[in-house]
Amino acid sequence: MKLAYYPGCVAKESGRELDLSTRWVCQALGIELAEFPKFSCCGSGFIDEANELLSIAINARNLAIAEAAGLDLMTVCSTCQGMLSLAKLRMEDPAVRAKVDATLKPLGINYRGTSKVTHLLRVLVEDVGLEAIRAKVKRPLAGLKVGAFYGCHLLRPADEMDWESPEEPHAFENLLSALGAEPVLYRGRVMCCGFPIQFVKAETAGRIAGRQILDAKDHGADAMATPCPLCHISLDAYQRPAAKLVGRPLDMPVFHLPQLVALAFGASPKDLGFSRHMVSPEAALAKLAPSAR
Amino acid sequence: MSADTIPVTFDVYRFQPGKDATPRFQRYTLDLTPHTPVLTGLLRIRDEIDPSLGLRYSCRSAICGSCAMQVNSKSRLACETQVGPEVELHGRIVVEPMLNQPVVRDLVVDQSPFWREYQKIEPHLKVDPRRPMPVGKVTPMTPAQVDRFQGTPRCIACAACYSACPAVGSDPAFPGPMALAKLYRFAVDPRDAARQDRLVRIQTEGLWLCLRCHLCTEACPKDVRPSERIRDLKEMAIAVQGATEHGSKHAVGFKRNIREGGTLNEMKLVRQTYGIFGMLPQLPYGLKIWRKKPEVARRPPPIEGREELEGIYRELDREGER
Repeated sequence: MKLAYYPGCVAKESGRELDLSTRWVCQALGIELAEFPKFSCCGSGFIDEANELLSIAINARNLAIAEAAGLDLMTVCSTCQGMLSLAKLRMEDPAVRAKVDATLKPLGINYRGTSKVTHLLRVLVEDVGLEAIRAKVKRPLAGLKVGAFYGCHLLRPADEMDWESPEEPHAFENLLSALGAEPVLYRGRVMCCGFPIQFVKAETAGRIAGRQILDAKDHGADAMATPCPLCHISLDAYQRPAAKLVGRPLDMPVFHLPQLVALAFGASPKDLGFSRHMVSPEAALAKLAPSAR
Repeated sequence: MSADTIPVTFDVYRFQPGKDATPRFQRYTLDLTPHTPVLTGLLRIRDEIDPSLGLRYSCRSAICGSCAMQVNSKSRLACETQVGPEVELHGRIVVEPMLNQPVVRDLVVDQSPFWREYQKIEPHLKVDPRRPMPVGKVTPMTPAQVDRFQGTPRCIACAACYSACPAVGSDPAFPGPMALAKLYRFAVDPRDAARQDRLVRIQTEGLWLCLRCHLCTEACPKDVRPSERIRDLKEMAIAVQGATEHGSKHAVGFKRNIREGGTLNEMKLVRQTYGIFGMLPQLPYGLKIWRKKPEVARRPPPIEGREELEGIYRELDREGER
């Protein structure tokens, strides 16, 4: 399998442990990641607040890059997934399409809408398949209770994302089970992490993040895991202020999705960038059966 | 149980503030056909088993918007939610009152906070007194003008979106999805003379607290899509007034940030949002993050093909022309 790898801004910079572990997992599964230094930022749901058409056009360009190589595009971020998928959908509107084409064509960019936009989580669950994942597990994550945290833009709006039920998604939990971990079901798993207003009103964002972490904790999670580096910023990087805002200690390790997959596939924890987390995942790793450490 | 019915377990939230110390769930089991509305089940419980159950409803036809409540954690109309799919998905039906509004009794909430926000956006046409609407005559709109409403007049004010919204639940300064969708409806009405004032006011009155989590759009029984109209409002507000708040500065700053290198310069974005002095309070915690993730402070290498991106901006970003 060969995919156009769209790492997004955060995985290339402050969240590079996500990029690191994504590459580790894809190599282990024989997924070839084609790289395109021409990819730009997806706009992250901010550019479209200022100028929606601009945001659509930027993403049509990103999609055209993957199309020119004849590849489907794989994201590792719920927000990138949402923005690219929405741009593709909006481009089906003839009026939007005409305006964007009028901008792109003179630049030599030919958007056709032929490449699928997919996320690492979907690739693992749908394309690789849980059977093949299970077969790769060298040290099951037995004993680890994990609260999956999806990230809004992977699921909603449901009619536009066209994937799992945003109320009762299962893909992430099924993957966690295949890795030997015990998925924890809690309501916050499909809720917002607060990230979009981190820079608008940090206290409100922190209260929202804190609430979801508490929910996972109260349902017995030893750790959380997310397919979105922006959720990771909210849940991990800003967990300390969130704990103050909700008035309870949280101490919740938060994994990037591919970190847990790599761990189960036998990667050494020191290759997965855990030292870059604000909340040390040591306590969660210590819960793993001795054979898995 | 007849052949076409299934046993349906309802776990219903019961609480009388002032009388009960804490809320409790009461279980009722009924045999119902799968297409029975949850509301019908609740009414049978009230009429046949437990007359003390409190709930609000009226039309039973998804028109009046009275029976919004949480069914299996999703805010929606009980009258248009069928029991069959719920039982299939969740095994039972957990019924709770809406969120973000205080419980009066059982499934009945006090909707005052919701209506207060609605009132604040002044949900009525403000006509220019110098150009009064002709009396006794219709003022026709073109189909294009009607299209601009984008379905917002369909709102039945059921408050399901208000219940589902995490921003409402976390910050009293956020007006909620319904009030903002209504504001949009008046801001695009060609007969309304207060468009500019409405858009200027809302910048400072909570517009930027929307999380764009789309939970409101998911909850809305009438496909009003509040989250998408809130996005429209943000773009319209910036267009009339420029960026005046942290939220709009962040959006505009982000847009400019990406123009430079094609990829996000994280540190610079913080400066673009808060300004140099506004950044200072962020510094102590920022340093802690920097120690773990030093890349936050560096300028990322630019993408290849920046001239293409620049070409797109030059064509579509009209910011400089204002």
